[in-house]
Amino acid sequence: MFEGSYVIDKFSLILKGLFILVTYLTFLLSVNFVESDEYYQGEYYFLLLSSLLGALVVTSSRDLLTMFIGIELASTPMFLLSGWKKGDQKSNEGSIKFFLLGVLSASLILYGFSLLYGVTGKLVFSDIANILIQQDLAQSPVALLSAILILAGIGFKISIVPFHSWAPDTYEGAPLPVTAYLSVSSKATGFVALIILMSKIFFESGDGLGIILVFISGITMFVGNLSALQQTNPVRLLAYSSIAQAGFILAPIAVANITNNFEDGVYASVTYLIIYAFMNIGAFLVINLLQRNIDSENMYDWGGLAKETPLAGIFAVIFFFSLAGIPPLGGWFAKFVVFRSLLSTGEIFGLSLAIVGAINAVIGLVYYSRISKIIWMDSPKEDVQKTENSIIPSPLKVVGFVSLILTIVSGIFPGIFSNLGEASSIFFNS
Amino acid sequence: MESGLGLTIVVFLPLVSAIFIFLIPKKQEMLIKLVTLGSALLTFGVSLIVALQFDFNNAGDLQLGTKVSWISSINSNYEIGIDGISLPLLLLSTFISVLAIIYSFEHLPEPKNAKGMMSLILILETGMNGTFVALDLILFFVFFELVLLPMYFMIGIWGDKTVRSVSGLKNDIETRLYASIKFFVFTLFGSAFMLLGFLGLYFRGNRTFSIPELIELGSSGAFTGTFASLVFAVLFLGFAVKVPMWPLHTWLPDAHTAAPTVGSVLLAAILLKLGSYGFVRIALPILPEQAVAWAPAIAVLSAIGIIYGSLACLAQTDLKRLIAFSSVGHMGFVMLGISSLTSIGINAAMIGMVAHGIITGLLFFVSGSMAHTYHTRDMGRLGGNMKLLPKTGAILAFTAMASLGLPGLAGFWGEFMALLGAYNPLPGLNITIFRSSMVAGAIGTVLTAGYLLWMLQRVNLGEPKEEWLDKELHDADNYELVAWIPLVILTVLIGVFPKLIFGATNDAVIALVSKAFGG
Repeated sequence: MFEGSYVIDKFSLILKGLFILVTYLTFLLSVNFVESDEYYQGEYYFLLLSSLLGALVVTSSRDLLTMFIGIELASTPMFLLSGWKKGDQKSNEGSIKFFLLGVLSASLILYGFSLLYGVTGKLVFSDIANILIQQDLAQSPVALLSAILILAGIGFKISIVPFHSWAPDTYEGAPLPVTAYLSVSSKATGFVALIILMSKIFFESGDGLGIILVFISGITMFVGNLSALQQTNPVRLLAYSSIAQAGFILAPIAVANITNNFEDGVYASVTYLIIYAFMNIGAFLVINLLQRNIDSENMYDWGGLAKETPLAGIFAVIFFFSLAGIPPLGGWFAKFVVFRSLLSTGEIFGLSLAIVGAINAVIGLVYYSRISKIIWMDSPKEDVQKTENSIIPSPLKVVGFVSLILTIVSGIFPGIFSNLGEASSIFFNS
Repeated sequence: MESGLGLTIVVFLPLVSAIFIFLIPKKQEMLIKLVTLGSALLTFGVSLIVALQFDFNNAGDLQLGTKVSWISSINSNYEIGIDGISLPLLLLSTFISVLAIIYSFEHLPEPKNAKGMMSLILILETGMNGTFVALDLILFFVFFELVLLPMYFMIGIWGDKTVRSVSGLKNDIETRLYASIKFFVFTLFGSAFMLLGFLGLYFRGNRTFSIPELIELGSSGAFTGTFASLVFAVLFLGFAVKVPMWPLHTWLPDAHTAAPTVGSVLLAAILLKLGSYGFVRIALPILPEQAVAWAPAIAVLSAIGIIYGSLACLAQTDLKRLIAFSSVGHMGFVMLGISSLTSIGINAAMIGMVAHGIITGLLFFVSGSMAHTYHTRDMGRLGGNMKLLPKTGAILAFTAMASLGLPGLAGFWGEFMALLGAYNPLPGLNITIFRSSMVAGAIGTVLTAGYLLWMLQRVNLGEPKEEWLDKELHDADNYELVAWIPLVILTVLIGVFPKLIFGATNDAVIALVSKAFGG
């Protein structure tokens, strides 16, 4: 469509489905939240939908302008939404940080794009790639510079190290449903953009870019996990966890840049993204449910809470251990496909990154198990104020059960993702 | 029972029942317990039927299994089956689960919650049974890991609540919390790397995860060089943590001491076997060349484990901790047998695994029950148990005798034959190392006898301490006896007729050894 700048294939359809479902779940998460206070309901949903539209555009875009518009349409509404709690200083602070860095990242992406356009005079990815290869520019400093600028710009969106510092503050300040959306949908949008750009334009850029990505991916895992270990605020914990998870999602793309086996890499990253989306929404739901019982910023105040809300307790076990990658919950397959793509060529960078990943999987377990430990094994704290609304509203139950079923089914019957492998090979060969 | 139906039921019936139990309201405790027991009995029954259908004349072949596509994108299949090596362990697993459930009818530690405990036991059983029948590396991995979550919660929720200090941690921590996460992290560490090893085999081995196919490839010499050494190293890490072998054993005493009785029993009787079974089923036959290269190292580590375990036992004052360390020693014999790479040694390991499962399972039952009665595990305070609790004391005495390897009881064969295997290891292996290990093992048997007899003297014999005289202490009740007596009978039966086990394992082990090592 539009001379190859907007493509609808199986790959983009699957991702569109993911984004729509995630946004729908975010709506359900938001219903009670938005109603419970003086929020602007209409605008709230409008902005979320705008962001969704941006994400949908990104999945299909195959030229620089469409891609840029998509990325910005997806992220701009989030600047407003993350500051939605107007009276809350943390919310304002997080929003401002997010806004400033977001604008910076947009300009970086744009700068990278303009270099590409300046060198090739083309907008559509396939034309750009052809010209880069024909004129032997694929490994030139200009191409590498533009790749690095784009990577830095998108790096903010997907919160990889060293572009991650906004995430914990913004996540903490934003309303919880918005945080869930930020950490799932916004991040996925950034990753989809990165996957498309890397595999459609920069696939011939040589090992240099790949090695940079490998290092970023490994460091991101370590920084995210080691910082998460020290958190007492559950939202900050999930913020750092989502940084670490970004390292895992990035890993296959990074190694694909060295081995040129993009098909496996894209399949692994997208599979991870999909599974991650649902278990992470589930994890935010758990925090929401627990905060309904004891409104505290310190998760250690939740001791023994599972006895009062067993359903939330079971959700906590399923989603957090799935994030840790324990079979038979979905997260294990996500990690597994990542390891598989890293080891597929037996190449040294892939192997090292796989070892880093394995170590990080173990570190992750320590803090992912913590919330389950607190609510199931600790005894209740005496000086903690309990709130009265212990009944779980049905929209939240729907979110919980949908994510639960998807998380468990994707762990026990990962065969459902075979389609995706096919889709990614169509995507890459078209 | 064509098409693997029987084995599939054995694996998944407990899981399905666990989900069913989730739906029963918590208040109907009796119903929950009966459903659990019924499910476990049915599973045991089906596993017996499977055993009857098993063709013992071809025990070396994988039987009664099936192969259905599972994850087509990575060519991983639902491939199951049993041979003479897995059958005894499968039966052990289904049987011990029944006993554990019977015991839990009346003996749930705080905070009771029968619903939670029963469903965890059932999920655990699915993981254990699944590991023993899985013939696909990924399927094996999933079952191998499935046991972690239930055991983590079993230790963490029902475990020992005494507060202790741990070096390296600022604040004191409850034993159960420390032990549960330590158990989890150690095992996950091993298995995360094990998974990388599985993937390595997959990529070098024609992209298959099927264990029989990989064994064919392995015995024809497909995996060699640095690659194979690395894979064996990570598989070793994954399995050795689970066994546990010295020096990766440190999670075990903590986990055993902290776990509730049922947890300790299942942990000792079945979970440890998953590791040694992994060696016999996966590591040795797929990577025979590396197994030969690593065998002396394994033998030495096993010998250290035997000596270390026994010496540590001599230093214990805590009854359950003593039994936990004795597991390190006994599993050392199992691994010593495996490391000899001969049919005698591996047969010894097989019967050693079953015997350890029965005997140590029983020891943990008895010691857990005593800890419950006396509210202490400190052997310095116990004493005169024979007079206070005659039934429990008698069974403790019997089991300790079995555990020290008294001829005529089950524990004897594993130790004796493991030493025999180590005396005459596979030709080509360094004979000095193995004979030294054998000597160390022999010294270990003496030490084992020493600490068990000393334990009996301190706990069972003598006059009761004054603090117990005016207290009402309950001897073993019927639930306990129903759970324990079968184990006593089995200990004698296997001791007198070791053919009960060898009849199944021998052909399979000989087939394995001749295929892998040509011996």
